[in-house]
Amino acid sequence: MPANILPSASEYLRILPEIILTVAGVIVMLLEAMRDEKYENSSAIPGVTLFALVAALVGAIVSFSDPGSAFHGMIIVDGFATFFRVLVIGVGLLVFFISGSYLEREHAHTGEYWGLLLFSLVGQSLMAAANELMMIFIGLEISSIATYILAGYLRDDKRNNESALKYFLLGSFATAFFLYGIAWIYGITGSTNLLEIRRVISTASAAHISMTLVGTAAALMFVGFAFKISAAPFQVWAPDVYQGAPAPVSAFMSAGPKAAAFAILIRVFLTAFEPIASRWEPVFWVCALLTMIVGNFAALAQTNLKRLLAYSSIAHAGYVLVAITAHNVIGVQAVMFYLASYAFMNVGAFAVVAHVARKGERFLRIEDLAGLGSRQPGVAAMLTIFLLSMIGVPLTGGFFGKFYIFKAALDANLVWLTVLGLLNSAVAAYYYLRLIVMMYMHEPGESTEGLQPLTAGMSAAIWISAAATVFLGIFPGFVLDFAGKSANFIK
Amino acid sequence: MPPLWLIPTFPLIGAALNGLLGRRFGKTLVNLIAIGSVAASFATVLMVLSGLGAFSGGLHEAHIERYFTWIQSGDLNIGYDLMVDRLSAVMLMVVTGVGLLIHIYAAGYMAHEGGYYRFFAYLNLFMFFMLTLVLGANYLVMFVGWEGVGLCSYLLIGFYFLEKFAGDAGNKAFIVNRVGDFGFMLGAFLIFINFKSLDFGTVFAQAAHLPADQGAGIFTAICLLLFLGAAGKSAQIPLYVWLPDAMAGPTPVSALIHAATMVTAGVYMVSRSSVLFLHSQIAMDTVAVVGLATAVMAATIGLVQNDIKKVYAYSTVSQLGYMFLGCGVGAFQFGIFHVVTHAFFKALLFLGAGSVIHAMHHEQDMRHMGGLRSKTPITFACLLAAALAIAGFPFTSGYFSKDAILEAAHGRSPVLYWIGVVTAGMTAFYVFRSIFMTFFGKFRGHGEPHESPLVMTGPLMILAVLSLGGGFLNIGSYLEPVFATAHHAAEGAAHHGDPMLGYIATAAGLIGIALAYVFYVLSPSLPDTFSNLFSMPYRWLSNKYYVDEAYDSTIIQPIIGGSRTLLWKGIDVGLIDGIVNGVAALARNVGGGLKLLQSGYVRSYAAWIVIGSVVIIAAMSLMGGAR
Amino acid sequence: MNLYDIVLALPAIAFFLILLLPKDNTDLIRKAALIISLGIFLVSLGLMPAVLAAPAQMSHVTDVQWISMPNIRYHVGLDGVSLWLVLLSTFLTPIAVIISWNYIDKRQKEFYGFLMVLEFGLIGVFAAMDLFLFYVFWEVVLVPMYFLVGIWGYARRIYAAVKLFLYTMAGSVLMLGATIYLYNKTGTFDYGNLMTLMTTGRLVLGPVEGNLLFLAFFLAFAIKVPIFPLHTWLPDAHVEAPTAGSVMLASVMLKMGTYGLLRFAIPMFPVAARENAPWIVALGIIGIIYGALVALVQPNIKKLVAYSSVSHLGFVVVGLFSFTQYGLDGAVYVMLAHGISTGALFMLVGMMYERRHSLDIKDYGGVATPAPWLATVFLVTTLASIGLPTLSNFVGEYLILQGAAVANFNYAVFAAIGVILSACYMLWMYQRVFLGRAPGMAETGHGHGHDDHAAHKAEPAHDEHHHDFHMPDLNAREWSALLPMVALMILMGVAAQLFLPSISASNADALTSTKGSQEQRVKVNLNKELANAR
Repeated sequence: MPANILPSASEYLRILPEIILTVAGVIVMLLEAMRDEKYENSSAIPGVTLFALVAALVGAIVSFSDPGSAFHGMIIVDGFATFFRVLVIGVGLLVFFISGSYLEREHAHTGEYWGLLLFSLVGQSLMAAANELMMIFIGLEISSIATYILAGYLRDDKRNNESALKYFLLGSFATAFFLYGIAWIYGITGSTNLLEIRRVISTASAAHISMTLVGTAAALMFVGFAFKISAAPFQVWAPDVYQGAPAPVSAFMSAGPKAAAFAILIRVFLTAFEPIASRWEPVFWVCALLTMIVGNFAALAQTNLKRLLAYSSIAHAGYVLVAITAHNVIGVQAVMFYLASYAFMNVGAFAVVAHVARKGERFLRIEDLAGLGSRQPGVAAMLTIFLLSMIGVPLTGGFFGKFYIFKAALDANLVWLTVLGLLNSAVAAYYYLRLIVMMYMHEPGESTEGLQPLTAGMSAAIWISAAATVFLGIFPGFVLDFAGKSANFIK
Repeated sequence: MPPLWLIPTFPLIGAALNGLLGRRFGKTLVNLIAIGSVAASFATVLMVLSGLGAFSGGLHEAHIERYFTWIQSGDLNIGYDLMVDRLSAVMLMVVTGVGLLIHIYAAGYMAHEGGYYRFFAYLNLFMFFMLTLVLGANYLVMFVGWEGVGLCSYLLIGFYFLEKFAGDAGNKAFIVNRVGDFGFMLGAFLIFINFKSLDFGTVFAQAAHLPADQGAGIFTAICLLLFLGAAGKSAQIPLYVWLPDAMAGPTPVSALIHAATMVTAGVYMVSRSSVLFLHSQIAMDTVAVVGLATAVMAATIGLVQNDIKKVYAYSTVSQLGYMFLGCGVGAFQFGIFHVVTHAFFKALLFLGAGSVIHAMHHEQDMRHMGGLRSKTPITFACLLAAALAIAGFPFTSGYFSKDAILEAAHGRSPVLYWIGVVTAGMTAFYVFRSIFMTFFGKFRGHGEPHESPLVMTGPLMILAVLSLGGGFLNIGSYLEPVFATAHHAAEGAAHHGDPMLGYIATAAGLIGIALAYVFYVLSPSLPDTFSNLFSMPYRWLSNKYYVDEAYDSTIIQPIIGGSRTLLWKGIDVGLIDGIVNGVAALARNVGGGLKLLQSGYVRSYAAWIVIGSVVIIAAMSLMGGAR
Repeated sequence: MNLYDIVLALPAIAFFLILLLPKDNTDLIRKAALIISLGIFLVSLGLMPAVLAAPAQMSHVTDVQWISMPNIRYHVGLDGVSLWLVLLSTFLTPIAVIISWNYIDKRQKEFYGFLMVLEFGLIGVFAAMDLFLFYVFWEVVLVPMYFLVGIWGYARRIYAAVKLFLYTMAGSVLMLGATIYLYNKTGTFDYGNLMTLMTTGRLVLGPVEGNLLFLAFFLAFAIKVPIFPLHTWLPDAHVEAPTAGSVMLASVMLKMGTYGLLRFAIPMFPVAARENAPWIVALGIIGIIYGALVALVQPNIKKLVAYSSVSHLGFVVVGLFSFTQYGLDGAVYVMLAHGISTGALFMLVGMMYERRHSLDIKDYGGVATPAPWLATVFLVTTLASIGLPTLSNFVGEYLILQGAAVANFNYAVFAAIGVILSACYMLWMYQRVFLGRAPGMAETGHGHGHDDHAAHKAEPAHDEHHHDFHMPDLNAREWSALLPMVALMILMGVAAQLFLPSISASNADALTSTKGSQEQRVKVNLNKELANAR
């Protein structure tokens, strides 16, 4: 359309969060570069970061004031996009609070960390709003690369390096599949725009194109997504990486990038590939079940807190896949609600772990929680809330998340998947209970000996998460209604 | 006329006072409350009965008082209703009258006992439940008393709870009775199902109007179940085993509960239900046969017991058998008649035995007694009267009631009669055996026996008079209105029968007495020669046919053993929990297995990804056919 | 915001109140807990008049939307059955506080806090008229009990607590599934609406569908009851739980299962329920006899009482699935009576543990001598629990058996065996624990019950042999907890009509509205609508 080459102002408005985050990221890097080694004025950098995060959050909401697509339909700002933008940036905020004191504790307080955090968020928020495969790929890469580095942030920590390397190698491996899929679908349909692809493969004129090839393309992309959301059989990397990475980063990875990945998974498969649902639904069915089983059962045998949470996050990805398998409006709605509540309870849980692990993350065995209930009742109570929410006990966000997911599944007549999923969540109760048992029913051990109180940032993150978890458990309506409105982009 | 509920209420108050506060009371106050309350209800009974004209040939119809609904559910409505008719009138007189005497006696007998207040609280509580049982106007209120007396019996048998055997005996009594109650309740359920009511009036009215042949099956079932209950309470085969052990309780208890009143409740219940029983010949015959069999069996055992209370215990079982024989052949009125006379002489026997035991400083083995005739003359005289009565010596109370039953039995079948006669002979033998061993010959015990105080001998004397003269209260005909239907059902009942039958029975009794005299006074060596001569049967008898042992090895041990090894350790812990924990372990193993996927090597992870992708690509592209 | 809502809210408020109290001032904490719970009980008594006036209808109804999508409502109400269960909960909570007074010696603050949460959940679960709300309260009850057992329990408490949690969880997820399924079919969680839809035949479940849904609910409830063979969590939980925990567990929590059967499983799926009744009754009877036999051989008093609960609850199941007025009334009555009698038993056992620090029968014996009143109260409770007439349990057991007999006489025959066995295991235990000589008491020379010898020792007043034998009699605090229980046992045994009419009324309604086949139910319901029209 040669008429207007230059994008209009409103189009810039629609990428306001990305702009803010990018600018802030650059500023942070500059500040870091000219930071005077003698005078530790590092407090400026977190300040900028915090400001940027809040601003981006506001920006995301503001940009929703004028929804629509931008840049020739590469970006679309709708409820769905806004929801995930707010979600990932919110996660960023929580992680910000955790990271501050964590870095203090580990004496690793540098500017790169914040810059990488911001850039990674740029990628994720771009993914949330992307309406076109290239855009999705770019977002994915921005987010991923930043995260790869974050995973290995503590340079001189062996585990960090290993984690980062694995994540990078396997991640790029999987992304290659994704890129290949894009190329393939472009070759078939001559477009990378999701709606266009949908139109092409759904209209009768699609008679001349082979659905088998479309299926293959979809499969290739799914492999990429499945890796990012750590769905079976591509979950293998997650435990090692989560365990190796710094606790705040693990929290971040398990909530932010994952949510964004789910967002684009939904966009791609429920818009572009909806016409061939009959092909991917069974695959999703199997993947969902496998993911739940692998996550839950492997978690039963874990002794390391971070690793256990890693497996639990795999299992939760499985539940989400159940809802996507339903591929209906309430399914998407359920996914959105679930990811929101999951973000809170998971980040909260990781925050507590980061807290009890102490300097150098020495105390990461489940036994190290022993007696936390009497040593630091507040922290224990918070972790209990997060765990009960993960089990899916009523009056917590996690319960309604599961509830909506299985409701959606039953709506789509996925009776057996539902029953198996429910039984899975009963199994899951066991390993979450083990932590509660440790905290309350065992005598305090040396690990909780002289455990310093929560720092301001930590307690902020933990309290916010706990409050949100309970709030979502008692008044799910707010989030749910918004999710409901935004989920109807599925035609 | 005072309301009926007063009658049981007095003892209840007495029980409450003594039970809750008795610890602080002195013995006199406890006595006052205990005996006073029973006296009060005795007086009330007299007033009520005279008010109803029970003594002046009145009370042909039942007098019913309804107080409040106890249980109501749908069309099931059970009220706390009491009633008096001639049958319950007789029982009331016996229970309160004899009960009063025994309370007085107990005041003396228990004078040196610990747990004095406790004893009388239980005893009063017993009176309350017994009176409820007798007064109840429907099966469920009756069942209240039924279970209640069982409870008190349990408490009083186990009164010396420091001794293990007392506790055992108590449990045995309660549990065996529970087996009976099982029958009683099931019977009651059937009655309700068929008559939509448990009210005696309603049920019997309906039953009476049914032609005799109709619904015999149902009636048989109901009656046999009810009789199972009666057999439990009144110690009939196969549930008699608890009564002999019940002698672990203090002697007044044995007299009141395990001779005079509670154990006759079964007979009362069967007579009360006579209308139902008369609809089922099978049930009637069962009652008669079981009764007679019990009478014989118990009598034979009684022949060789040496513990004086045990002798009388088995004698009680045997006499109860007689009563059921009477009911079974349709002579309910004589069954009850025998209940009354038996209450007199058996209570007397026990109280007398108690007096002897008291005199002998708690020696109960007759082999260590003897020659007490001179030392305890009053006790001797009274016991002799009782013995004569139970042996059916002419014109004593037992003579009338027992003969009436035997003659009625003859009306049903001579066999019953003849067996009954033989049993009567044995009865006379073992009773007089006990008399002779205790009071005749030379003193074989140690210590200085002394006559009991008046508070004990007084009741003995009154009971002695009743035992001798009680037969002249013509209870049989007094009860006929109650058993109007029963009456013409039982042809050849007393008075119409051949007088010869009476003579024979009496003769049997006299022979028994004579034999006992020969064995235990003339030539005391005879018993041993006999027991050596017939050592096998002797061992069987002295070991009570090994019934307890048989029950223990065939029922109790298997249940306990099976429950422990098979049910608890086997099914519960082994099987069910085994499965549960097994599943849990399995889950953990699966988890452990999945951990193995986590080799930690990037290359193997990459391999995973490749394999996975291939499978998925294949699935998605081929799903729904390639085109 | 009616009275019930207040009663429901109070424990929740109390929970936060207790959280605010200083951690170390245990006396203040338990006093506060006692006063508050007593207050709640008194307030809850105010619920009675309205319900008793019209027991068949729901009183104190509140029906407001909680969540718009899906349509989840805070819909509560009390009828003649749920009222008593709510009162049972509010009545037992202060008593639980009293018996925990010294027994709970650590982390009192959390303990009484959890007790309040427990009460909150119980009050809620018995009044919830919205399936979803019911499920929420159902799970809410589980959490505090899990902590009560896990933190303040005995040696194997953790195993027991986790077992309790997982067992219940496994059942309730299926119930959740069934609930959602119903919602997707009907668009409502509301019990009333569902019933109307079903009784008017607007919602017709296929035979398989109906059976599966019924089984899903049944399984969840059966685990809670517990019905053989799903009962094995109960002995562990009961034995390991602290006294107050055992009391609340046995007296109220088990009733959640039977209440669920009565309120939801049977009315919503009457056809399936009736089809499955035979084997369910069979399981109930097995439970009665099996529980009794296993109780007979338990060396541990608490475990014995726990198994006796399996037996008693078996009666309830038989009553419920006899589908007779008597059976249902009896079942509800036993639910209450068992709550009182078994609750008291656990309290007494706990008091004995505080004295002797053992639960093994073999470590006792002759307790009646030093502690006659303890023995007496224990005996009364024992008699109540073995169903002696004029005491609480008899009325219920009688009605259940009568109902079973009407449904099928064989049911009654087998179930009544339990009546015999209950006497066996309770009296045998009573004898071994309370009768005989207390350890350290001199044997009398000759074993025979020679009156004054034995009896002098039978009389604690002048017994001089047990100075070394530490078993003091009941103290004032214990009396204050036990007296109300004993009073209720007698009251419920004698004045059954104080409770039965309301129970009968609401059961009669449930029974008629769900009797027989579809068209019958349509007819019944039409008559109702006509009646309402007039």
